[in-house]
Amino acid sequence: MTLLWLFLITLAIAAGAFVLARSRVLAQSGQDRRKLHSLPVYYGSNAAMKSAIPALLVLVIWLIAQPFVVNNAVSGMISDSAIADNSSRGLVLAEVRRAADGLDLAVASGALTADQATDPQSDFETVTSAIEESGAILTSQITEPVLRAAQAFRAMTATGKRLMAGVVLLIAALGALWGLRETSPEFRARNVVEQGVRALLIAAASIAILTTLGIVLSLVFNTIEFFRLYPASEFFFGTNWAPSFSGRGGASDLGILPLLWGTFYISIVALIVAVPIGLFAAIYLSEYASPRLRAIAKPMLEVLAGIPTIVYGLFALLTVGPLLVSVFGDEGLGWMQAGTAVMTAGLVMGIMLIPFVSSLSDDIINAVPQSMRDGSYGLGATQSETIRQVVLPAALPGIVGAILLAASRAIGETMIVVLGAGAAARLSLNPFDAMTTVTAKIVSQLTGDSDFASPEALVAFALGMTLFVITLGLNVFALYIVRTYREQYE
Amino acid sequence: MYDATYDTTQETAVTDVKIKAKDVQVYYADNHAIKDVSVEIEDKTVTAFIGPSGCGKSTFLRCINRMNDTIDICRVEGDILIDGDDIYDKRVDPVQLRAKVGMVFQKPNPFPKSIYDNIAYGPRIHGMARNKAELDEIVERALRRGAIWDEVKDRLQAPGTGLSGGQQQRLCIARAVATEPEVLLMDEPCSALDPIATAQVEELIDELRQNYAVVIVTHSMQQAARVSQKTAFFHLGHLVEYDDTSKIFTNPEDSRTESYITGRIG
Repeated sequence: MTLLWLFLITLAIAAGAFVLARSRVLAQSGQDRRKLHSLPVYYGSNAAMKSAIPALLVLVIWLIAQPFVVNNAVSGMISDSAIADNSSRGLVLAEVRRAADGLDLAVASGALTADQATDPQSDFETVTSAIEESGAILTSQITEPVLRAAQAFRAMTATGKRLMAGVVLLIAALGALWGLRETSPEFRARNVVEQGVRALLIAAASIAILTTLGIVLSLVFNTIEFFRLYPASEFFFGTNWAPSFSGRGGASDLGILPLLWGTFYISIVALIVAVPIGLFAAIYLSEYASPRLRAIAKPMLEVLAGIPTIVYGLFALLTVGPLLVSVFGDEGLGWMQAGTAVMTAGLVMGIMLIPFVSSLSDDIINAVPQSMRDGSYGLGATQSETIRQVVLPAALPGIVGAILLAASRAIGETMIVVLGAGAAARLSLNPFDAMTTVTAKIVSQLTGDSDFASPEALVAFALGMTLFVITLGLNVFALYIVRTYREQYE
Repeated sequence: MYDATYDTTQETAVTDVKIKAKDVQVYYADNHAIKDVSVEIEDKTVTAFIGPSGCGKSTFLRCINRMNDTIDICRVEGDILIDGDDIYDKRVDPVQLRAKVGMVFQKPNPFPKSIYDNIAYGPRIHGMARNKAELDEIVERALRRGAIWDEVKDRLQAPGTGLSGGQQQRLCIARAVATEPEVLLMDEPCSALDPIATAQVEELIDELRQNYAVVIVTHSMQQAARVSQKTAFFHLGHLVEYDDTSKIFTNPEDSRTESYITGRIG
């Protein structure tokens, strides 16, 4: 029974429970719904809820847990001697799973009978050759223990699936019975459904929070693993970034400082571009523009925010970079070697950030009450005096918050940097030099053929963690500022 | 409470016309909000505008300092003259005009600045002080005339938004007074205040009469009777009746005025 069918049957049981509970309670009250505590639909929903939710919950947990259980059991079947010197238990287990897939393919193509594939006494030679001919992807020769483990793996997975189907359907049926038994005109079905809705909403909120937690935990464990292999002091205070990839040998220098410097330099250039332009645009749109112009211009400005960053990257690489080289390059002022530079990435990133700054600031400026402006105009102030001395001070905390949010966007930006700023990690003050950022280096450390146990790959998690802490700090600080000063004009 | 240099004997001086409006029409897009209003408002007098909601009294008030200019769809026709000069003349700068015609709003609206900076805002913009000492003097004089000096003199650097509602409104009056206006317009200045704060502000309005022409819009007929010398009754965009306050409240000529005062319309 496939997963889809199991899911549909569970839902069908729930739907049946709904109909039964509804008609049962109506029958009990003699078709007079005024005698019921709740509307009939609530009795039905109560039974459906009790049937479907526990069953689906068990289904999800089972699907997550089963691979762990099966892997552990299979892992116990492989003795340490069966693991080659240059291999690990994890690699052998992966081989077992691939062999199991191969058995499935071989059965499906008819090269093996179902009995041959499952029988632990079957002939080793025929089975392996059938797997190889089936087109399964295998990296090495299948050994006897691997094949037997693969057969056990298949058997256990199949049993697990059958067991799961049985348990889930049983729970669905029991839940439906429970809901039906409760159904009587005095039963407060409406209140119970209300509780159910509440639980559903809580579940949705907790999934979002738990996912964040999961991301952080996965970063934390890998970061700790990295610091076991590489000293933290050299990571945080090293001024040289020179990873050597496995195979080439030699020790790596993994100092974060050149990357952090690149990140901050590019972000600062971006903010210098985005903050004045965005803020002035916001002031124009909220204070000077006519409602009709504003209705057209604001969405158009926000279109900028919808452009994928890779497109901005292309713009940096193909347009802004060559333009800057023609002015500052060897034929011009001679400060710039190539199109990829801090300035290129910073300018383009600044353009990307304009709508963030302007849209948020615009909302905040609009939130300043009209009475404040009237008061100022009533004293004979001009429009720009009013904006400078009354509106902006009142809106300042919100604007600072908007700028900090834009800053954390800039720090986390990747594609513009990859295409616009180059790949050289260096500590330099010249904004026309190529530099690189933390995010761009995370990409380059994890792409390609890398071994996830080496410090060169694990450093990506330490970089990610550092970045996460920095942007989290910025966001918390921004929210703090916005919250602390917001009530001033409310 | 007010500054001693202002002579109270001025109260008895002969009043003359400060603001003269002739055939004023106001339109909000297609809506004709004020119809043929002609009125002569006297100097050193409190004039009250009364009438039911939406009758146009606030709109007319906002015409006197051209605050309606900030509303795009608003159009004003007819003449309004202050001291004989047409304020809707092309050569008149509305920004300058508003310094001369101060305004106090319905809800106290102190700026999110210190008490001192709230008062100093207008004088600074108009360059009224040559140095810090002069500015200090202007601020003190305005706060004294706003009858709030004693309450705030020890905390001039505290934020103006931290004062109570009545104090905030008196701060706003002091702020309007600080630019040395000739006319003070008040748009329901007590409607957001409790009875005690209202009494304080009303007392203040009576004192302000020594120096300014005060025009006050109010929904409270008791308030109009208490503070004003002249009363204008507006109804559906028309100026129905304009006369001495005592006459309006005791012996109105128009039956609509009588109906409103006795509570039958509005």
